Amino acid sequence: MDGSRTVNAPHHTRRALPALVLLLAAGGASAEKLTMPDGMGGVPDIGAIPCSVFSAMMERGPLGTRHSLITWSAGYLKAASGKTLQHLADAAGAGGAPWTYQKLGDELEAWCTANPTAMTADAAASVAAKLGVAVPVAAAP
Amino acid sequence: MSTDAAPAQSRLWQPPIVGLVTFVLMFVAVGLGHTLMVLIEHQLGRETTLAVSPLLGFTGIIMLWYGVKSKNETFQTWIGFFGALVVWMCWVEFFYMWYGRMNWGMLPRMDGVDGLEVSGTYPEYMIMGSTVGTLLMMLCFYTFDKDTRCNMFLWIQNKLGLREGLGPTTKTAKDRNYAIITFMETFFVTWFCYAWNLLTFDPGLMGRGDLFVGINLASVFIAVVWAGFCLTRLIQFRRTATALRYAIPVGNIAWVNVEILEKLDLMSHAVFIDPWAYKLEASVIFGAFLTLVALLLLAPKKPSEMGRRVNPAD
Repeated sequence: MDGSRTVNAPHHTRRALPALVLLLAAGGASAEKLTMPDGMGGVPDIGAIPCSVFSAMMERGPLGTRHSLITWSAGYLKAASGKTLQHLADAAGAGGAPWTYQKLGDELEAWCTANPTAMTADAAASVAAKLGVAVPVAAAP
Repeated sequence: MSTDAAPAQSRLWQPPIVGLVTFVLMFVAVGLGHTLMVLIEHQLGRETTLAVSPLLGFTGIIMLWYGVKSKNETFQTWIGFFGALVVWMCWVEFFYMWYGRMNWGMLPRMDGVDGLEVSGTYPEYMIMGSTVGTLLMMLCFYTFDKDTRCNMFLWIQNKLGLREGLGPTTKTAKDRNYAIITFMETFFVTWFCYAWNLLTFDPGLMGRGDLFVGINLASVFIAVVWAGFCLTRLIQFRRTATALRYAIPVGNIAWVNVEILEKLDLMSHAVFIDPWAYKLEASVIFGAFLTLVALLLLAPKKPSEMGRRVNPAD
């Protein structure tokens, strides 16, 4: 530690303190757990729950639960490929059986039923692979 | 309460036995109503159940039709009660289930510390909670009906100073058809108690903290006092048909406590909603229920309960 730094230290501290407070405040905010509005059903991030929970939700609200994960998967696929779900479904179904809304849901549900300890995002990754979307390792869930 | 000129002679079927038996029967009947729903779903499969439930509901109406044509008050009461259970189950519970789960794509409310446990508030119950305004509007009919004989509505009419304005009732006991009366009573009592539980369980209204616990404990207090007060009246009944009708709200109000205590993790009624896991216990309860029904059917009746009215002039 040289003399000049020691002399300037109080000046830096005055500038750093507000930044530190902001940093801590921002850190505190990001640690807050996401929750649903009280009256609503479902979970805030359907892609980040265990498949066993997804299956339990399917038991009581099949249509809505399935739709939530399809919607989540559409965003995931768009981020991974830059293409919309409709575009990917059209391309994948061009050479064989069409990829319908029903089939998308069936694939996600079947994968989760077979892998209850995995996460729902893994189910989306599985569908991505079947749709021919290469999921980068860094972007993989 | 009975004022029959020719009371049935029995040492057993006297107060408080008649009231106690009918109360236990109606209390258990609420739980077994849950079991019946689960069994139907299991036997028919959920999709088939939801598809045929609108038609199944008509069996309740056919029962009511037979009941209304009967002159036997006891038969009318039983048929009105069971008919209403069928209609409630098929035209409300199963129909809401189809709407919420299969048509509107609603999701179940989640519970638990991390919000990853499916709570008992399934989509159909979220819909049912929203019907409270319709329920209150329908109850206005009974509040302002001069011919109502329900003690609660008579009490409200007195408190609101309505008796004079409404005028004297134009119906006597023999003008009343107890099949439709019991049918509507069962339906509205069930609806009311569901709405009560669903409103106090709704985190959108009560939150998930102290208010939720406080409101639900207050509900337990009210339900215990209300059911207890009504029970003290019920145990004075002599006529089984009258006692059965009075026991419907008493059993249902008492059941409100079961739902709340389960919600607060203080007890469980899993024996009613998962009978396969509790085969022996569920069978014992069902056997006891059937025994109570048989006892009540065999209990000595007064002439008026059997459709034979005694003419005081004779």
